[in-house]
Amino acid sequence: MGLDIRIPLGLIFLITGGIMSIYGFVTRNSAEIYEKSMGINLNLTWGGLMFIFGLIMFVVGRRQKWQDDPIDPRPWEKGDRPLP
Amino acid sequence: MNLSLIDWLIMLVYFVFVLGIGFALKRYMRTSNDFFLAGRSIPAWVCGLAFISANLGAQEVIGMGASGAKYGIITSHFYWIGAIPAMVFVGVFMMPFYYGSKARSVPEYLRMRFDEKTRAVNAFSFAIMTVLSSGISMYAMALLIQTLGLFHGIIPDAWIFHVSIILSAVIVLGYIFLGGLTSAIYNEVLQFFLIVAGFAPLVWIGLRNVGGWQGIKNTLPSNMTHSWKGMAHASTNTLGVEWVGLAMGLGFVLSFGYWCTDFLVIQRAMAADSEISARRVPLIAAIPKMFFPFLVILPGLIAVSVTSKMATANPAIPSARAAAVSGHTIVSSPPGTMPSATVSKSTGALDDEHPKGIIPLKTDPLSGKAVLDSSGNPVYNYDLAIPVMLLHFFPTGILGLGLTALLASFMSGMAGNVTAFNTVWTYDIYQSYINKKATDAHYLWMGRMATIGGILLSVGAAYAVTNFNNIMDALQLVFSIVNAPLFATFLLGMFWKRTTGHGAFTGLLSGTIAALVHHGLTLPVDAAPGIHGGWITVLHQYPSDMAQNFWTAIFAFSINLVITILVSLVTTPRAERDLVGLVYSLTPKPIEHHLRWYQKPATLAIAVLVMLVALNLVFA
Repeated sequence: MGLDIRIPLGLIFLITGGIMSIYGFVTRNSAEIYEKSMGINLNLTWGGLMFIFGLIMFVVGRRQKWQDDPIDPRPWEKGDRPLP
Repeated sequence: MNLSLIDWLIMLVYFVFVLGIGFALKRYMRTSNDFFLAGRSIPAWVCGLAFISANLGAQEVIGMGASGAKYGIITSHFYWIGAIPAMVFVGVFMMPFYYGSKARSVPEYLRMRFDEKTRAVNAFSFAIMTVLSSGISMYAMALLIQTLGLFHGIIPDAWIFHVSIILSAVIVLGYIFLGGLTSAIYNEVLQFFLIVAGFAPLVWIGLRNVGGWQGIKNTLPSNMTHSWKGMAHASTNTLGVEWVGLAMGLGFVLSFGYWCTDFLVIQRAMAADSEISARRVPLIAAIPKMFFPFLVILPGLIAVSVTSKMATANPAIPSARAAAVSGHTIVSSPPGTMPSATVSKSTGALDDEHPKGIIPLKTDPLSGKAVLDSSGNPVYNYDLAIPVMLLHFFPTGILGLGLTALLASFMSGMAGNVTAFNTVWTYDIYQSYINKKATDAHYLWMGRMATIGGILLSVGAAYAVTNFNNIMDALQLVFSIVNAPLFATFLLGMFWKRTTGHGAFTGLLSGTIAALVHHGLTLPVDAAPGIHGGWITVLHQYPSDMAQNFWTAIFAFSINLVITILVSLVTTPRAERDLVGLVYSLTPKPIEHHLRWYQKPATLAIAVLVMLVALNLVFA
């Protein structure tokens, strides 16, 4: 298919990880929120890791040419075309 | 439960992407081949992740978490014994026939190998099963949303269940209708990564809380932390199954019957871009599958090990405030959503009063009172093990991610069933028996209509499914009746050229009838005759419903095997030249000369099996 899965996959992790790390950064001094997670700011740390993962996926997805893009004619469709 | 804006935002991002993928792929859906088979153009790793994700529905996340809390690490047998060997077998030995025969579905392979009637039996029973499974997934999701009070305050409580059903139906319908199998596969890959991203920190923080694996071992009885201890007798392990029943019933019949013949998973491998990729798909899938017990079973074990002493071991948190905060989100929910009294108290120690950690008591949704079993003891709602873990450990923000992961798992389970259903309906039922000579554009249209039909039937099934406490048991019952006899048919069909269509058909029917009769004649010890068995008369009692399921499968498989062989021997086999590409002994072996040793599927298979043995030894 013409869409490389790593692009949407990268984007969703970039956005979700981004939201979480920004929120984690803003709330980094709030002990009340992070009492549940035993004082660990999971939003900032895990959100940051997700952001990096998303970035890698997105960059790799953009760089690599996705095979067999069906917008180009398929092998069996080429025969039907009139010769130039 | 009160979610903050940030949690809703994270969930919203997910739903936008899910539907966005459908829209982005719409323009590539030009032929029925694109819609039903993803144009056979997907790389192996993408298909591999979709392969396990499609199976990662409600029964997986909720059922396995529940079983982990109830039975312990022994639940990992459903992965290590009950999946990996079969996945290796289908990749190495069976995939060349599914992919190489150019069959578009598993029932179609049966028509090519045997005859029309064998295909019809499989196509119809499979179609019914997928709709049921999809309905169960939908029901479980709606029930969970209702129990957690996710929409409380936004819509009236009485509507939550119905709105959840409709919402999930519309979203899954949307992205499959637009992008077909490719859309489902792409979303399954997203779902796979989201489930890992949502559950991995949960397990990490949970383990930190209970003092690691060693802490769990110190808190729980030893039969919950060993997967092979006490397997010699049904009475000495928590599953109530002895090792023969486990190895034969789960490890061989049910597991091979599912992973090697179920079109829901095989369809993902059939979408691969080449035969060698298709063979790698189940093998690639086996690697993360092997480690999934740590993501879905371990949270169940952690949930029953959490004590307030451990929760406040961190000196940064004063104990009174910690209890108040951890109970806060749940206490504030009204009656009719989460059983507030139970959960707020459940931060108490693992003592006589709260022997099950943070697992809440089961309450009657109407009266709000705790449910008691026949001997007056309280019943615990194990299905809430993972959701309660999320609420207990995740602060705002990552809680949104955790809930997204949970919703993603339900959707992947539903979508997998719906794509398998629309393909089998269109190719194996509609094109075969209703309209044989339509244009490809018509079948593409029919595929989209079948998607709508499949979703509507699932909604019907979701409202019909209410009788089971543990979703796992219900699905095992469906599988044991429909899937268990099936593997004998494929085994003989692929590896014994003498097998005939009449033999396969008679054997398959006899196997299914045997499963039904066995279920009607036996009963688990603590169940009343009815849906749990014994509806003819009770000839034998099993120590647990799992043991009954496994033995139902063993009987169904054996009867099918014997009847198929007997009938095949007295009927005329097909000419050998017609079976090339369909039967092992008559098909040239796949060409692998151009592959280096580490690229060969067999190498990958051996690596997977070595890891499997190692995991079993570590947790024996």
